[in-house]
Formats: sequence, C-alpha cells, structure tokens
Amino acid sequence: MTAYSERAAGAPVLDFLGEHAQVLSIAAFFVACMIFFTVTTDTFLTVGNMLNVIRQAAPILIVAIAMTFVIITGGIDLSVGSQVALVNALAAILLAAGVPWPVVVLAMLAFGGAVGLFQGWFIAYQGIPAFIVTLAGLSIVRGVALYLTQGYSIPITGVPGFLSLGRGIVLGIPVPALIAAAIAVIGYVVIASTKYGRQVVAVGSNLEAARRVGMPAKWTLSSVYLVSGVACAVAGLLIAARLGSGSSNAAVGFELQVIAAVVLGGTSLMGGRGSMLGTILGTLTIAIIGNGLILMHISPFFTQIVTGAIILIAIWLNTRIFTTNFRLGRR
Amino acid sequence: MGDGDRGGAVAAAGREDLSRPSGAGAERTPRVSLRGIRKTFGSHQALRGVDLDLFPGECLGLVGDNAAGKSTLTKIISGTYQPDGGTIAIDGAPVRLSGPADARARRIEMVFQDLSLCDHIDVVGNLFLGRERTMGPFLDRARMLEEGRAMLHSLDIRIPRLSAKVEKLSGGQRQAIAIARAASFDPRVLIMDEPTSALAVAEVEAVLSLINRVKATGVSVILITHRLQDLFRVCDRIAVMYEGVKVAERDIGKTDLEDLVKLIVGGERH
Repeated sequence: MTAYSERAAGAPVLDFLGEHAQVLSIAAFFVACMIFFTVTTDTFLTVGNMLNVIRQAAPILIVAIAMTFVIITGGIDLSVGSQVALVNALAAILLAAGVPWPVVVLAMLAFGGAVGLFQGWFIAYQGIPAFIVTLAGLSIVRGVALYLTQGYSIPITGVPGFLSLGRGIVLGIPVPALIAAAIAVIGYVVIASTKYGRQVVAVGSNLEAARRVGMPAKWTLSSVYLVSGVACAVAGLLIAARLGSGSSNAAVGFELQVIAAVVLGGTSLMGGRGSMLGTILGTLTIAIIGNGLILMHISPFFTQIVTGAIILIAIWLNTRIFTTNFRLGRR
Repeated sequence: MGDGDRGGAVAAAGREDLSRPSGAGAERTPRVSLRGIRKTFGSHQALRGVDLDLFPGECLGLVGDNAAGKSTLTKIISGTYQPDGGTIAIDGAPVRLSGPADARARRIEMVFQDLSLCDHIDVVGNLFLGRERTMGPFLDRARMLEEGRAMLHSLDIRIPRLSAKVEKLSGGQRQAIAIARAASFDPRVLIMDEPTSALAVAEVEAVLSLINRVKATGVSVILITHRLQDLFRVCDRIAVMYEGVKVAERDIGKTDLEDLVKLIVGGERH
C-alpha cells in the first residue's frame, strides 16, 4: 500500500530569495558598480564624493519614494518634473516678495499636495488613465511655471535659513541627504507596516477586490498623487535652496530619472509589487553611475547612453528572471 | 418534516413546484426572505419577480443556465445591486441594502467567482483584507498571524506558510482562503458563486467538506454551481432559475440529477 505523505516545506531561505530576487539583484548590481568605480578611479570612494552623490541624489530619491507608491497602485506620475519646477519657481517668487521662509515652505507643501490631489481626482474619481492625466499635468504645470517666471531665473538671497535646507551640513551630512533619508525611512515603514500601505498595495493588486472588502479604494488611489505632489514640493524646495535660485527650467527630464530609479528597483509597472529598498538602491545606482562616469572623464553625454542601457538590461534580466520560474539554488 | 406528500411523488417527474412546505416555514423565520424581486438592466429583464427564502443553517443550491439570473439575484442579496421592485427581509424585518458595506455589516458575505484576492499580499493579509488588525496606524502582524492561523485551523484548512504571497498558491488553496475569509467573520449568510468550477478533484472535495463545516455552524449558505453532482453533497434545497424567474424549488431528497437537468433546460414546461 502506498503511504500518503506530504511534501516537506522547502527551506525558508529559498522562499526569501525567491520573493526578494529583484531587490537582491539590484543590490548586487549596486555593489558591483561601487566596486568598479572604486577600482577605476581614485576619488570615487571618498567621503567628500559620497556626500556629493547623496546630496545630488536627494531630490530624486524623495520623489522616487513617492513614485513607488504611485506605481504600486498601477499608476504613473509623469508630471513630477514639472511640479518640481513650479514649486521651485513659486518658492523663489514668494521669497523675493518677502514672505517668511517657513511660511513659504509650508505653503509650497500644501500647494504641491493640492496639485497632486487635483490630478488624483481625475484619475481615481473620473477614471481617466493616470498616463493621460499626468501627461497633461506635465504640460500644464510646466507652462504655469514658465508663464509665472517668463522663463527667467529668480535669485534667492538674504534668507540663510532657507538656503541652509539645501546647503547646510548637520553632523557632517548634507541636510538634503538627511531629509531624503528620513523620507525614505518613512516611506519604507508606511508601505510595509501601516494600514494605509496595505491599502495602497491592495488597490494596485486588485482594485475591485479592495473595493469589495470595503477599502476606500478611490480615495487611496487619489491619495498617492497627493503624496507625490508633496514629495515634489520637498524636492523643488531643496533644489531651490541648493542652487539659490528658482527657475521654471529646473528638473527637466526629472520624471524619467525618477521612474527609471523606481523600475530599476524592481517595482512592477503593472501594480501590486513594489519595494522601497529597491527604489533606494535603484536611485543610488543611477546616481553613482552618473558620478563615476564623470570621475572617469567620460563625456557627460555618454552617461545618458550608459544609464539608459543599464536600465534596459537590468529590467530585461529581471523580466527574464520572473517569467521563467526562476529559482536560486536547487530545484 | 412537514412533507406529507412524500408518498408517490418522490420519483415522479413533471410534478408541481415543491415550495418550502408551509409547515416548516411556520416553524422558523427565514434568515433572508425575498419577495417579488425584479431587476431590469435597460431593456433586459434580469429578474422578473423572484420569491426565495433562506433558512438558518441550510445550504441552498441555486442553479440555472447562464443568464438565468443567478448572479444578479445573489448580487442583490449581497448589496451590490439594488432591486427595482420587491422586498428583502432579514429575520423577518424588511431591509433595504444600500451597498456591499451595508450587507457586510448585516453579516452577509459573498465569495466571488474571481475570489477577489490580492495576489501580491500574503495569506494573512488577504484573510484580513479590509479588516486589518491595527495598533494605531500600524498593522498588528503578530495578532493577525495568530488569529489567521486560528481561522484556518477551525475550518481545517492547511496552508503551509501564511506569509506566502497568494500568487504562489494553488487554485484550491486560493479558493480555501477566499472561503475562509468570508466564513471567519461570523457571517449569517454566505453566498458562494461557482466555488468549485476551476478546481482539481481533491480540491473540490476539500471545498465541499468546508461548506458542510460552515453550514454546521449555523450559517445559511447559498451555493451557485454548474456542477450538479456537488449539490447533492452539500445542499438541503435547490432552487432552479430560468430566464429571470424561479421555476422550481426542490428538497434535495426529492430530486435527482435527471430531474434537475430537465428543470434547468426548461424542456418540460417552456
């Protein structure tokens, strides 16, 4: 007589590797890039250069964290670069008009949230695809910024408190990097451990199921664009404070860098699957590639080619890994 | 109970509709009672006046061809649709269900044909979807894991790893999770739409025995299925829908497969 027995459960470590393969692969790639640039240049792995990299990457990281929320819901926000530029310009205009800088900061955060929520309303409550709404937003918001500034750059002077947001150093670390790190930690905790984070994942995974179990599906969907708008405001303020000016031409192509960082980190454009850790690693990987190639005295134009190629290859590999029942270790 | 006409009628084909014998109806108040339910979508009369009673602790099989109105009827009971006419009474009291959340608050749960699971969330997360246990804004994972394990255990469902993403599970396991989710929050009415349609043999057996266990706890179950043989394993009564009306109701002991097929295709009366 045949004995009926059940399969033994596999080693938990294999489950772990399977579920986190994308983050692990981007982590490995990040480490490889670090080693490569450390070996090929003298100045890459120095404290000064590393601080420079994270200071420059801070605005992208902040918006990429928010973009991870958006993409987990299966959406996209193409308007982030324009939103950064508008906040950047508007902040400079208000500061030039003599408004106290803490008021400007709070007003810009509220403004960014309002712009995001406006787009989110069209997406969640009116059912227009996020791609269309935010593509229109990209054009409109940049246009507003250009109109307000007439294309000129507006200097920010005489507000050391504001400028220290972009240039200050606390405990040896640039303030923008500290802010970005804090936002990254918050983003990680929210998506992994809060009820709101669970709702975001549920809406991205199965909108109808989320609605049926009584989750506020439409509100959740629109709220991620609010989060994105606030993050854009933070990034716009940091850029204005670092450069000491506000310009409607800031952050051109910013949305593409942000989306690239998120996707490189293993977040699925189809929604449901996403990783904050992946986004952080993706952002830093793109940042050190740009920095390392410059240190290697390679043409900055070439950097764009390399970055694009790396994104394509990384995502191609990830797609292959995930469509062929990939397993690490024994079968 | 109350079936005095048992005599020669048991095997007879083409007999009159066997409504719930009035004796039994008087003994118990129906948990859900539908009267004259009508629903029209544009020019399409989905339901043309349906009466249906559902008693505590029974399983009612709802059968009929595609587009007979089964799903529309269950969606009215689960609050997804509002009827255009007719009344709904729960425990004898007339109610108007304003939406799925209202029905859920009255402890009417539905397992949808597509299961409504989130593939990217783990087993525990799906069990508690929409009812997350929290500490402040944070998920109380330990408590959900513990309660989830108890929920599955009480229904004798075995899932090796509760932290596995639902997308990694088999069809039967997914089905079991969807049923466990609906059955575990103390429902009074549990509606299941085609719970066994896509399952392998052993999985069907598991789901059927799960339905029997749920029923035994006093839950009223409505089962929609095209697998007529399943009805005889779990149902107490069967209601047959045809073109938006209920054409027949049978106690399970007084019907057979052949009789049901005839009723469903409507060959003998339409």
